[in-house]
Amino acid sequence: MASRYWYLFFIPLFTLLAVVEFYPLLDSFYRSISTTGGLSLSNYQTMFTDSAFWNAVNISILYSLTSTLEALAIGLVLTFIVIQNLRGRSVFEAFFIMPLAVAPIVVGTLWSPGGFWDDIQTFNSFILHLPVFSETTPAFYFTVMTYSDAWEWAPLIMLVALSIYNATPKEIYEAAELHGASAFQKFRSITLPMVLRSPVMQFVVVLRFIDAMRAFEIPLSWSFWIGFSTSVGSPVDSLSLYLYKLFFIPLFNFPIGLISAIGILLFCFTLLGAAIMLRFIRVIGGQ
Amino acid sequence: MPNDTEGNAAPKAAKRRRPSTRRFLLYFVAILFVLNAFWPMFTMAATGYGIDWTPIFTGQFAVRYIAGIPFYSGGIFPTPASYIAALTYLHFPKLMESSLIIAFISISIAMLVGIPIAYILARIDIKGRNLVAYLLLALRTISPFVVIIPLYVAYSNIGLFDTYPGVAIAEDMLILTVVVWMLRGFFQDIPREIYDAANVFGKSEGQIFRRVILPMVIPGIVVTALFALVLVWNEFLIADTLTGPVTKTVAVGVWSGLGDSLATVTPSSFDDLNATGTLAFIPAIVVMLLIRKYLAKGFSLGTAR
Repeated sequence: MASRYWYLFFIPLFTLLAVVEFYPLLDSFYRSISTTGGLSLSNYQTMFTDSAFWNAVNISILYSLTSTLEALAIGLVLTFIVIQNLRGRSVFEAFFIMPLAVAPIVVGTLWSPGGFWDDIQTFNSFILHLPVFSETTPAFYFTVMTYSDAWEWAPLIMLVALSIYNATPKEIYEAAELHGASAFQKFRSITLPMVLRSPVMQFVVVLRFIDAMRAFEIPLSWSFWIGFSTSVGSPVDSLSLYLYKLFFIPLFNFPIGLISAIGILLFCFTLLGAAIMLRFIRVIGGQ
Repeated sequence: MPNDTEGNAAPKAAKRRRPSTRRFLLYFVAILFVLNAFWPMFTMAATGYGIDWTPIFTGQFAVRYIAGIPFYSGGIFPTPASYIAALTYLHFPKLMESSLIIAFISISIAMLVGIPIAYILARIDIKGRNLVAYLLLALRTISPFVVIIPLYVAYSNIGLFDTYPGVAIAEDMLILTVVVWMLRGFFQDIPREIYDAANVFGKSEGQIFRRVILPMVIPGIVVTALFALVLVWNEFLIADTLTGPVTKTVAVGVWSGLGDSLATVTPSSFDDLNATGTLAFIPAIVVMLLIRKYLAKGFSLGTAR
C-alpha cells in the first residue's frame, strides 16, 4: 500500500547518480571506443601494448598489497596496546587515531624527504655517524610511500578491531585467564582469530585494498619530491597518477581515448570489488 | 614465566609482580607508537615555524655570513612568519571558506537525498533496494578518474567549472555512499520495538519515519555530517580537477600554493607548505576526535558497530 510511495525517494537519488555517475560513465565509454576512423577498439589495443600502463598496474597492485598488509599489521599492534587497559588508555587511543584525520595530500608532505626524513638524516649522520642514505632509490621511497599510507589507515583497522573486541563476551577472556594465559597469548589465540574472521574486518580490508588501488595523493607528492612530475612509467606512478599525468601534462597531447579506456577497465574491476564487498555485507546482515 | 596456580598467596604475588616489568615494556611500546603517530605531524608544525633541529645535532648555532649578509642556517628559533603568511597573503581563510561552502552544499544535497534512502535500506522492505545498495557501493569503489574527466569536460562546456555548485555535486560521489550507509547503521540501531509500537498506534509508515524515527537519529545525522565534512575537507583529486582560482579548497591550496594553474605544482616554500598543512589538519583532527566513537562506523560504511 503506502510502501509504494517510498519509490518516490529514488527519484532524487537517481537524478544525482545520473549526473555524477551514469552520464560520466557513458561519456567515458563513448570516448574510449570513438576514434578518428569511427568506432573501434584501438584505444584498448593501445592500452594493452602500453608499457607505462602495465608499469602502473604493477605499481598499483604492489602498492595496495603492501600498504594494506602493513596497515593491518600496525592496526593489530595498536589494538593489542589499547586493550591492555593501560593508564591513560583514551589518551593513547586519541593519539593513535589522529593520522586518520590528516588529508592524504598532507601525508605525502609529512613523510617527505624535506620533512620527516630531513631530521632523521641529520640525526643519522651527526649523532650516529652513519653515511647519509639515498632517498632516491626506489626501495627507499616505495617503502616510505606504502608505510605512510599504512600510517594513515592503521587506526581504521584498530577502530574496527576494537569494535569487534568490545562486542564479544568477556567470559572467554576470563576463562583463558583462569588457565594462566598471558596477555599476549590471549590476544594471539582469542582476539586475533576473532578479529580476522569477522566479516566486518574482511569487508574493511577489502575496502581499504580497493581504495589503495586508486591511491593518488601520496604517489603524486612523491613524484614531485623525487622528480618524476613530468614523466610517466616511473616507479611511483600508480594507476591514478598515470591517468592524472596523461590528462594534465600537455606533452602527451591529451589522449582522452586512452584515458577513458583505462578508466573503463578500472570501472569493471570496481564492479567486481563491489560485488565482493556486497557478499560480506550480506554475511554481516545475516548474523 | 611462573605458571604455578597452587596455593593462594603465590599467584597473587606473581600477578602483582609480573605486570610491573611487562607493563613498563608495554608503556614503552605504546609511547613508541604514539610517537610514530604524532611525530611526523609535530615535525610538520615545527617546520612551519621554521624550526630546524640541525643545531642540536651538530652543535653549531652560528650565524653564517655569506657575502656579508648574516645568513641564518636554521635553528630552534621559531618564527610564525609562515603561519602569518598563510593567513594573510596566501589566503588560507579564503581556502577555508571555499572548503566549507563546498562541504555545506554537498553535505546538504547528500542528506536530502540520502536520509530517506538510508531509512529504506534499513527498514522498508521494498523491491529494488538491494540494487540501490549495490549501486551505492559501486559508487564508493569507483575510480574517480572514470567520472572526473567527463565531468571536467562537461563543466568546462556548460560553465560549471570552478563554481561552488559544480564542485559540490561532484564531491557528492565521494560522500553520498558514506552518508547513506552510515545513516543506515544509525537507523538500524533504533530498536525495532519502537517502530512496532508506533505501528500499533495506527501511524502510517511516513508518519513513523517523520515523527518517531527521524527525531531519534538527529544525533546520528550530526555525526554523519561532521564525518562527511572531514572527508570533503581532505578530498584532493576531485577538488584539484574541478576547482580553479575562485573555488580552490584547502587540500588543493596546501599542495599547490597560490599558483592558479592546475597542472603546475608551485608550493610557495617548504615552510609555507608545512604551515598551511598544519593549519589544514588541526581542524580535521579536532572534528575527528569529537566523533571518535563513531569513526569505526563511518569508515566501515556503517557495518561496524
